[in-house]
Amino acid sequence: MADKNLIKLLIIDDDTHLRESLAEVLELDGFECQQAGNAKDGIETAKKLNPRVVIMDIQLPDSSGFQICQTLRKASKETILIMMTGRFLSAEEKTQGFELGADEYITKPFDLAELSIRIRQLLTRGAKA
Amino acid sequence: MQEQHASGFAATVWNYITTYNNILNDAARHADFVAEASGVMNAARQQQYLNRIMQLHAAFLELSVFDLSGQETLRMGRFLGPSPPMRNFFQETPFQVALQQGQFLGSLERFQGLYPTLTIAVPIVDPRIPQAKPTGVLLGKISLNGLSQMLVQQFPEGGKSEAAVVGPDGFLIAHSNPKMVFKVDAKLPKEITDVILTQTQEKGGGEVVLQTGKTFLGAYAVVSQLGWVVYVQQPIESAYGAAIEMKGEILRVLVWVVAVTILLSLAVAGHITQPIRALNQAAERLGKGHFEEVPELSMTNDEIGDLAQAFIHMAEQIKERTGELSHAKEELEKFAHFLEKRVEARTRELRAAQDELIKKERLAAIGQMASVVGHEIRNPLAVINNSTYFIKTKLGVGAAAGTGPPVDPKIAKHLSIIESEIKQANSIISEILTFSRSRELKPEIIAINNFLEELLGVHPFPSHINVVRELDASNPVVNIDLDEMRQAVRNLIGNGVEVMPNGGTLTVASEVVEAGWVRVSIKDTGSGIPPDVVEKIFAPFFTTKARGTGLGLAVVRKVIDRHNGKVDVESVVGKGTTFRLYLPISAQVAGFPEPAQKA
Repeated sequence: MADKNLIKLLIIDDDTHLRESLAEVLELDGFECQQAGNAKDGIETAKKLNPRVVIMDIQLPDSSGFQICQTLRKASKETILIMMTGRFLSAEEKTQGFELGADEYITKPFDLAELSIRIRQLLTRGAKA
Repeated sequence: MQEQHASGFAATVWNYITTYNNILNDAARHADFVAEASGVMNAARQQQYLNRIMQLHAAFLELSVFDLSGQETLRMGRFLGPSPPMRNFFQETPFQVALQQGQFLGSLERFQGLYPTLTIAVPIVDPRIPQAKPTGVLLGKISLNGLSQMLVQQFPEGGKSEAAVVGPDGFLIAHSNPKMVFKVDAKLPKEITDVILTQTQEKGGGEVVLQTGKTFLGAYAVVSQLGWVVYVQQPIESAYGAAIEMKGEILRVLVWVVAVTILLSLAVAGHITQPIRALNQAAERLGKGHFEEVPELSMTNDEIGDLAQAFIHMAEQIKERTGELSHAKEELEKFAHFLEKRVEARTRELRAAQDELIKKERLAAIGQMASVVGHEIRNPLAVINNSTYFIKTKLGVGAAAGTGPPVDPKIAKHLSIIESEIKQANSIISEILTFSRSRELKPEIIAINNFLEELLGVHPFPSHINVVRELDASNPVVNIDLDEMRQAVRNLIGNGVEVMPNGGTLTVASEVVEAGWVRVSIKDTGSGIPPDVVEKIFAPFFTTKARGTGLGLAVVRKVIDRHNGKVDVESVVGKGTTFRLYLPISAQVAGFPEPAQKA
């Protein structure tokens, strides 16, 4: 398998269907996706696997997506952190999120082609930086 | 009384005269006196006889004997010398009257000019011869001083009464004050003589007022045989003495009583009535509320004074209290009015706040629900979306078209429908979430025309819509949240376009309608809204569309409300609808650079 060419990506969401559907779509685009159903598992998986991209829901049963974001950003400056939300975020919330290390926000339901392109853009810039 | 005196004295006078008359008559008829021989009188005896009379009766001043020829044959007088001259009286009245009438009483005169005397003449007749003829006349002058002396005794000097005897022509014969008599031409005052000498009655009396002003009560009695009048007078004071004195006393008492009564009344009035009246008046004025006009009540130092002091004190207190009361009343009224206004205002505010609260609560509830529902629906939508994308990708539909085996076109079509519906569902959710979310306004200063031009410039109008701009030349400046206001105006433009599927004109206008307000109108030429529908169009979730959330106009109202503006609608069925937004013109108009000028 061309494992080394695949980009490691972690999805943290308590909704199994969403997690799986998103993972499988992204796998079609060349991402190696891991999944976590809560914040604790998500952080542990991220530390273990060190994914290039983490897509996380803002609302999780055990914690907030922003806390995971903050924790992961402390652990790594290169990881692409994408926040997923089902509701409107205020400008303040968004700003706060960016300050904690978030790179991008996406609102459900999202255009998957667009998401794929955006992730690759962020990865390219991260590689250049 | 006076008349009795007068009458009594009149009798006395007559007696007096009669006495001497009798003496003379007795003498003239005395045998010794008449002639011894016929026609010749015995002068020696007559002289002897008359001497005796003169010695016995001091009143005889003179005695004379006349013969029938009137020649005086004998003359004796107290103040005559030894051989007085003899006179002939033949022509004299006394002589003739005595001879013819047997008696003469009269000829009042003043002996030596002072003492009143009366002449009495009687014929000398021989008593021994019946029907004898007179042989001569015996004449005597009698002093009337005796009458005055009698009057003095009866009416002593210093007494109040006076009496007099007056002869004809006012000759004063006698007077209780003899000094009055012993004068040349002595007379009583004319006022008296006028009265008494003209009387026709034998006696009478009445009041006589003298020139001196003194009033006398006078009485008279006529000595009829002589034609004299006895007059008695008494000053009216003493005549009415007791009566007058009594009257005077009564008068004095009366005067005293009246005076004392008046003084008492004055005192009473001064001490009781007047103060009480003053108090009464003051009380009346107080009662009418004329506190300023309460009179000065300066009172005595007695009970009434105390009462007045108490009253003044009371009046002051009432005045003070009334002042306080009326002040308090005014304050209360003001306060009540103020309170009323406040209550009204607060009630309005509260009602508005309540309405707002209810609206907000409802909206908040809706928002909360919408948020939850939206979030919860967005997850499945995202899943459906992901799955659809996966299927499309696997089948090679869309972006991956032509990379795999051919796909049933109907499958591709239904996948597109699913995607389209996901988008539709998502837009509904977005609309609900937009409406229900509450965010802070971020107002910015902008010229209204620039705002509208910018919006119209990017709006995707279909070609069948004719867009007309009628923008106010003054281009007023407003302070608005651009995102929200864009959403609101966009909703109205969208609605306008939607109701003109077969083409029409959309007019966007701005106009300064009144000081400080600009009106933005969005007018379509669509089918119009029936009146019963117009009332509800701003309510959330009200819609007449087959597909629509019913939030478009609700968002418009919410946005305009948040900008302290107003929104209304005018619609004529078959002609079109005009929505009008009223926005406050910003005070920061001065110095605001227009974007056009920037360039």
